Amino acid sequence: MNRTTITLVGLATAASLAFTACGRSDDAGAGGEEQGEAITDGKATGTIEVWAMGTEGEKLGDFVEDFEDANPDATVKVTAVPWESAHDKISTAIAAGEGPDVSLIGTTWMGEFAEAGGLMPTPEGLVDEADYFPGAWQSTEVGGTSYGVPWYVETRVLFYRKDLAKKAGWSDAPTSWDDLKQFAKDLESKGGAKYGLNLQPGQTGSWQSYLPFAWTDGATLTNEEGTEYTIDSPEMAQALDYYTSYFDDGLSMTRTLDPGELESGFADGTFGSFISGPWHTGLVEEAGLDESDYAVAPLPGKDEGMGTSFVGGGDLAVFQDSDNPESAWKFVQWLSEPEVQQDFYDEVGDLPAVQAAWESGELSTDPQLKIFGEQLGQAQSPPAVPTWEQVAASIDGLVEQASRGDLSGEDAVKQMQSDAQSIGTGL
Amino acid sequence: MSRQARQPGIVDPTRRGQAVAGWILASPFVVLFLVFTAGPVLASLGMSFTDMRSTDMRTPFAVQFVGLDNYVDLVQDPLFRKVTLNTLLYLVLGVPLTMGIALAVAVGLNGLSRSRGFFRVGFYLPVVTSIVAVSVVWKYILRDEGGLLNAALGWVGIDGPAWLDSTTTALPSLVVMAAWRNFGTLMVIFLAGLQTVPREQVEAAEVDGASGWSRFRFITLPALRPVLLFGAVITGIGYLQFFEEAFVMTKGGPLDSTRSVTFFTFDQFGYGNYGYAAAASYLLFLAIVLLTFFQFRLLRTKD
Amino acid sequence: MTNTLEAPAPAAERSEDLKAPKQKRGADGIRTPGWLYVVMAVGLFLVVVPFIWMVVSSFKPEAEVRAIPPTWLPQDVTTENYDQLFTRLDFPTYFLNSAIVALAVTLGNVVFCSMLGYALAKLEFPGKRVLFALVLGTLMVPGVVTFVPLFVLTTNLGLTNTLPGMILPFLAGPFGVFLMRQYILGLPDELIQAARVDGAGELTIFARVIMPLCGPAVATLGVLTFLASWNNFLWPLVVATSEDKFTLPVALALYAVGQNATQYGLLLAGSVVVVIPVLVVFLLLQRFIMQGVAMTGIK
Repeated sequence: MNRTTITLVGLATAASLAFTACGRSDDAGAGGEEQGEAITDGKATGTIEVWAMGTEGEKLGDFVEDFEDANPDATVKVTAVPWESAHDKISTAIAAGEGPDVSLIGTTWMGEFAEAGGLMPTPEGLVDEADYFPGAWQSTEVGGTSYGVPWYVETRVLFYRKDLAKKAGWSDAPTSWDDLKQFAKDLESKGGAKYGLNLQPGQTGSWQSYLPFAWTDGATLTNEEGTEYTIDSPEMAQALDYYTSYFDDGLSMTRTLDPGELESGFADGTFGSFISGPWHTGLVEEAGLDESDYAVAPLPGKDEGMGTSFVGGGDLAVFQDSDNPESAWKFVQWLSEPEVQQDFYDEVGDLPAVQAAWESGELSTDPQLKIFGEQLGQAQSPPAVPTWEQVAASIDGLVEQASRGDLSGEDAVKQMQSDAQSIGTGL
Repeated sequence: MSRQARQPGIVDPTRRGQAVAGWILASPFVVLFLVFTAGPVLASLGMSFTDMRSTDMRTPFAVQFVGLDNYVDLVQDPLFRKVTLNTLLYLVLGVPLTMGIALAVAVGLNGLSRSRGFFRVGFYLPVVTSIVAVSVVWKYILRDEGGLLNAALGWVGIDGPAWLDSTTTALPSLVVMAAWRNFGTLMVIFLAGLQTVPREQVEAAEVDGASGWSRFRFITLPALRPVLLFGAVITGIGYLQFFEEAFVMTKGGPLDSTRSVTFFTFDQFGYGNYGYAAAASYLLFLAIVLLTFFQFRLLRTKD
Repeated sequence: MTNTLEAPAPAAERSEDLKAPKQKRGADGIRTPGWLYVVMAVGLFLVVVPFIWMVVSSFKPEAEVRAIPPTWLPQDVTTENYDQLFTRLDFPTYFLNSAIVALAVTLGNVVFCSMLGYALAKLEFPGKRVLFALVLGTLMVPGVVTFVPLFVLTTNLGLTNTLPGMILPFLAGPFGVFLMRQYILGLPDELIQAARVDGAGELTIFARVIMPLCGPAVATLGVLTFLASWNNFLWPLVVATSEDKFTLPVALALYAVGQNATQYGLLLAGSVVVVIPVLVVFLLLQRFIMQGVAMTGIK
């Protein structure tokens, strides 16, 4: 070996050997922690640094004036962060011990950041769990401890073309799985739609379309304690077979859509119905539909009544490295008050996570919003474990295979279980 | 290298001066490089021998040293094998295609006597066009029903497949799109290199009646050797790491047929499996080293 | 220094003097065939289409941008995307940040990489081969790998949320060294020998003999480095923790990409604006890329 090579190999070995001195200790990172001590009374003080993404980030800065008026010694500094890379930004901030006092955190990220030791457990008595939609609160619980509080929520409901449905003989939305199937068929044969119901055939995020069906069927992803995966169950398999039957019967398209294709297709009658969240009302109206042309309805139950949907949204958490935790939690508390939640809805359009905020104003009168409110009462979120992203990706891949007919529901679900088990919960 | 130094027994009198100058010239780069590049690179090499996850970042030394476990797991991971094949296929198809187009365009441009600047800018545009715009237009071109390509094929009676939805045609389609997108960079580099081709030789050959092709083969190509090597190496390195096109156009599908090693690594970093991801990227690094070594052997200038 | 070392007038001009007014010749010295123009024009059209779509569509309202199938000419011409771009975003600050960072990185790379590239190509010094191997090696390491350790390092140096923090990690780019080395390898050794014989010091040779001949390579490196730095997204995003330090791509992503929906119109308008400085730099430097390095008279 010539000198050059020897030098280089030596450098590399030295670097790697440095890591042999490592060893993992057995303390749990998250979960099993106690809730924080209750915060003291009194006003907030000092600077509170807040990170928020997207529109929330843009509007929050002005919105906090009322808080600053009520707490004259406190200043809130809001930094807007792009959604696209908020995850990386937060995780590197936690790694380096540098971060804000408070941040908006996507509901599916809570597990990972709590486990990394970046988030503070919610103090005792800060808020009452019962004030929130149960599915939303679920997203803050990692290993049995709650980190942060839900801020705003979103859930998925059925969007359908009222006019085409009428033509097909349906004056109300379907309320059972069999009805939904028939609904889709009729939208095609009598309503003139090319695809009765648009479902996502695998690829990123398809779990958000598929899991509601599984949950409606009574499937659970983990056991009570959240320590083991219980994905392999007859309910999961049946739900998957039901889901993929739409592709087999030609009621749903087997390729993934391009951005804008869903709204355009809904507006021109290619798709008779689809399942999505509150942001789509704006999109379909921009694509040319009028409020009277379409309607939203809760997801159908298996045999009757309302089905279980997916709830997502954003949570607020205080960072372990915060210099000003007491005031930070006070700020979080303020954002959770029902009137403030309502005002925030008026400002930004995010649905409040606090149930009381729905009892007055537009949220209690607008017919579309009422449907979302109803559905929120029966919606679940996936387990808040650090490894959820990876498990979800494996589910997406298997849903894709099942949608193409390459795997049966039973085999796909078995594979999901074994993948999830080898990935682990990360707790 | 100085010819005098090769003669045995004679030491190049400028050797000392050269050594001093060499290190002076090298020093700013070396300092910056050691701190900001070499350091992190070695740190992540170390990381690849541990089971580090994102949740360990605040206590990075409290991780388990696992030796070569990550590497062994990778080689046994069916998805990793699949993405490796995808990446190699992309490389083998993409590099010759892109270099060929870039060289042809550069030679063509060099042969124009006017409007060169106009053409140059135009051909460079795909490189600077946002990937968002690129993806929208290419999706429209490649769409199965109503797409431009299938419409054009339809005029001559061919029923084009669903380019991006089929596991056999998705990757080649992305290769063509990548060649279109990236040839501009190589074109600029080849243009610079073409300026070092001795003009008198070319003109003399034309006067002697040599055809365009033999002028190209015997004068231009040999003179371009170092630049061609450079082009091959950086394109190869770039394509072994391909990611963006697949991320925007197909998200790795259908059924992972367009997922590359870098995409796989990116996913693993996203899941927080830092040790595993670092190992994957070092395997990629090994591949890149091998490829570059091979290319140097093939196209090396005698220096 | 003697006259033989001054580069003769660019070959293109000389050729035109001798051969004007009859045949038009290209930079390769050969008469340009007519069919070449046709072929190039067709190729150009094919290549430029998405760019044109991008510019044209930035003048469409959001709903039309997302329409499937895509439209060509706007049915409703509007400047709302540009209005949003300049009013919602603190444009001057972001532009300035991007400009400072990109210019600094470009200048740094051109200078430092030329220095080392020359040393690696034409000088003998101990450790030369290890250094080249290291440089080449890092060129081959996928960027994503160094990200996390680099961020921890940057934090420890107190460089988070500063412009130097966005500049320093990229000042020493292996790509530039490789490019300059390969290019300079093609320059004749005789030039250097002659200068040494004339008594010029090594560093003088670098600055006065070699660098003036590196026009095309420097211009190429400049353009490519500027482009990469200007469009760099992930690093400035992570380093900048307050809005006044955002660069243009970061700010654009912030305002255009939401959790559930992307504003394509705004994104396209932003992409058009972001592209302009790069094109300007390219237009300014491209004549140097084509500058003939005259080789006659030296042999």
